[in-house]
Amino acid sequence: MIHDSPGSGPRPPGPLKQAWTIARIELRRAFLSKRGFWVYGLALLPSLIFLGHGVEVKVRRNRLSAGGLTPAALVDRVSKGETVEDVLERLGRPADDQKWERRKRVRADGESASVTSHAIEPATEARYVRLNITRPVYSGEPTARIYEFEVYGPDGTANLALKRPATGSDPCTPEEGPEKAFNGSVSGGRSDKWCTHETWNAFLQVDLGSILRVRRFVLKHAGAGGEDEEWDTREFNIQVSKDGKMFTTVVNVTGARFVEERTSYRMLVYFDGRRQAYLRFEDGRLVSKQVRPLLDFEEDRQVFAGVFQYFYLRLAIFFGCLGIFMNLFRGEMLDRTLHFWLLAPARREVLLAGKFGAGLIASTAIFAGGALLCFAVMIWPHDPAEVQAYWEGAGMTHVFWYAIAAVLGCVGYGSVFLAAGLLLRNPIIPAALLLGWESINGFLPQMLQKLSVLYYLQSLCPVPAPMDKEAPPLVQLLLAPAAPASRVGAILGLLAVTALVLWLSSIAVRRMQISYGAEV
Amino acid sequence: MNTRAVVFDEVSKFYGEVLGVNRVTLNIPPGITSLVGPNGSGKTTLMNLMTGLIHPDHGSISVRGISPRNPEHLMRVTGYATQYDAAPRWATGFSFVTTSLLLHGYGRAEAEERAWKALERLSLTDAANRKVAAYSKGMRQRVRLAQAIAHDPEILVLDEPLNGLDPLVRARTIDLFRTWAAQGRHVILSSHVLQEVDVISDQVVLIANGMIVAEGEIRNVREEIHEHPSQFILRCRDASRIAALLFNEDHITEIRLNEDQQGLLVMTRDREQFSRALSRIALGGHKIEGVIPADENVDALYEYLIGGK
Repeated sequence: MIHDSPGSGPRPPGPLKQAWTIARIELRRAFLSKRGFWVYGLALLPSLIFLGHGVEVKVRRNRLSAGGLTPAALVDRVSKGETVEDVLERLGRPADDQKWERRKRVRADGESASVTSHAIEPATEARYVRLNITRPVYSGEPTARIYEFEVYGPDGTANLALKRPATGSDPCTPEEGPEKAFNGSVSGGRSDKWCTHETWNAFLQVDLGSILRVRRFVLKHAGAGGEDEEWDTREFNIQVSKDGKMFTTVVNVTGARFVEERTSYRMLVYFDGRRQAYLRFEDGRLVSKQVRPLLDFEEDRQVFAGVFQYFYLRLAIFFGCLGIFMNLFRGEMLDRTLHFWLLAPARREVLLAGKFGAGLIASTAIFAGGALLCFAVMIWPHDPAEVQAYWEGAGMTHVFWYAIAAVLGCVGYGSVFLAAGLLLRNPIIPAALLLGWESINGFLPQMLQKLSVLYYLQSLCPVPAPMDKEAPPLVQLLLAPAAPASRVGAILGLLAVTALVLWLSSIAVRRMQISYGAEV
Repeated sequence: MNTRAVVFDEVSKFYGEVLGVNRVTLNIPPGITSLVGPNGSGKTTLMNLMTGLIHPDHGSISVRGISPRNPEHLMRVTGYATQYDAAPRWATGFSFVTTSLLLHGYGRAEAEERAWKALERLSLTDAANRKVAAYSKGMRQRVRLAQAIAHDPEILVLDEPLNGLDPLVRARTIDLFRTWAAQGRHVILSSHVLQEVDVISDQVVLIANGMIVAEGEIRNVREEIHEHPSQFILRCRDASRIAALLFNEDHITEIRLNEDQQGLLVMTRDREQFSRALSRIALGGHKIEGVIPADENVDALYEYLIGGK
């Protein structure tokens, strides 16, 4: 026999010791559950973003410093209207120098944007008038578009080509045939034009019916029909003929009707070791000057406050606790291993406490750790003197309250999701309900606000979260903080809510039965 | 309160509208007790009820005077090898048993020593440090047994414990049950393979459709069923002549002649009269070489009570 004294076990361990034994075993499930690895991504995402920002700032600082620092007083004295040469002479070589040019096409003679008129002198006789398109558009697209092609005689009153028989290159669609360019209309929509995809010898021809004297041609391009001006016809010529066989070119357009307007820009960047000055010159004259710190500690702390409240408290800790705590019982039920714990010589409440402890340790380590890591990464690239001043001021207090808020977030949400895992099979429903409840907390009467975890957590945050005034009103309402409670009140209130939820959970766990499936 | 027996008093359990067990009243004394019934008859339900994994809808249960709703007391003296095959993902055979012992309050050194010895008894030491999830079905069965016995319980509850065991381990396990039962402990096991519990059980509880059909010692149960014919195999040279003589007896219900003409299968409603008739035939000069009870096993009872009734 193994044992001399049957059934004589050791002295029963105390509930705390037993709960700690359970918690230690369950830490593996809480930290390493395959169903819950995504919580690490949630916890570390802001740290990675801040790290990327910090690295970028460090690299930029090194690059800007490489050419030497410019005294701040010199930078401050630069004023608008100065020439680039003057500035370069006074301030020396900049940390960064970028030049670019902007070109704009404008009509040379002030014609309306997409209607061109082409007169010939003297007037000539013609029965057939032909438009040949050699380069269809400015954008490079191989499609020509003519909304109207008008032909006028010496008196210039009547459009001789109006509704005359027309031919042309194959149209893009049957509705966009050559006749549409002679129907007297440009306002009939996108199909009220002649359009062709042919890029080689694209032409449009009209038969005036008899030999007539012609003196002027008007072309209404894509822009006249409401399309992009970039699609206006770029290069073309107009020919006339009496017999339809021998044509004479009377108009030749090669884009020369447009001129290119150029503006040269230059951006000089100077760095005084802390601030960077962006000097923008237009055609050699300073038009704008922006001086801003490479890093703004105050701004970054505000950003962190926003990240902590909007991301960590409302999303990461909420969903992280959902993943960790609901898995403690529900995961075991799904794995069909819960009986292992229910057959342990431990009160069910002790089992609950052990599992809650494991979840709490894991979630606190992951999320409070993640938030503090994020805070550290946020501080890392800043000026050590500024950081030192911050630590000597409110820094440690801020860190303490951020940590407390994160830990209590895990306590509060953890208890709720532990209870949900005991009572419900599907985590989506309670998560959605709780998320909805927490989101509308700011709208609720103050009495009901106190039944929300977020209500207490917001009151513990040391820096108010910034609110984007440009955000839609509904988003602003949802993100608006509830009426704050005192910190002591917030901690006691949260612990009271947690105790209530855990008490309900203890009743549930005592009634809990194995239900893996059909076993009779 | 009976502190020596496992007592079910009018216990009913339903899974929604599905019957688990219905108005079960049982008094299981120490020794080896087998719960026998087909799949779905309620054996596992009874075991889960007595270990607190599920709770009755009606009635009460006492396990040596302890309510199953107090696992902190009950499981100190109870070991339950469930039929649930899964073990926690983290568990190796060794850590599975050791962890259970730590929860009992054993120090780590003693827990590890006990775990090792329990695994040794089930011939699992070679695989002790492998993940339970990678074990074969038989090995998982053995590691559950090791966990159940490691803390030396007074009450051992075993759901289909001999499934998947090789003959050697099976024999050693049965020896273990007998030894424990001889020490006045409860060994309560379930099976739907009747032959396997027939030879080892002190008591049998026959269960079908969630109701107790019969309970007690196998022989006693058998004798309670007066109307059920007993079967005997006779080995004799002039089988057809003896068959003719037996047909004259009122208590004989059926006789089958063996193909070799040297044996009979006889069914009788009265053992005593059958015994006297055999004596008369033997005194009449007919040589009867042997009389073997053919149905004094759970199979026959079971077939009669559940299938044939």
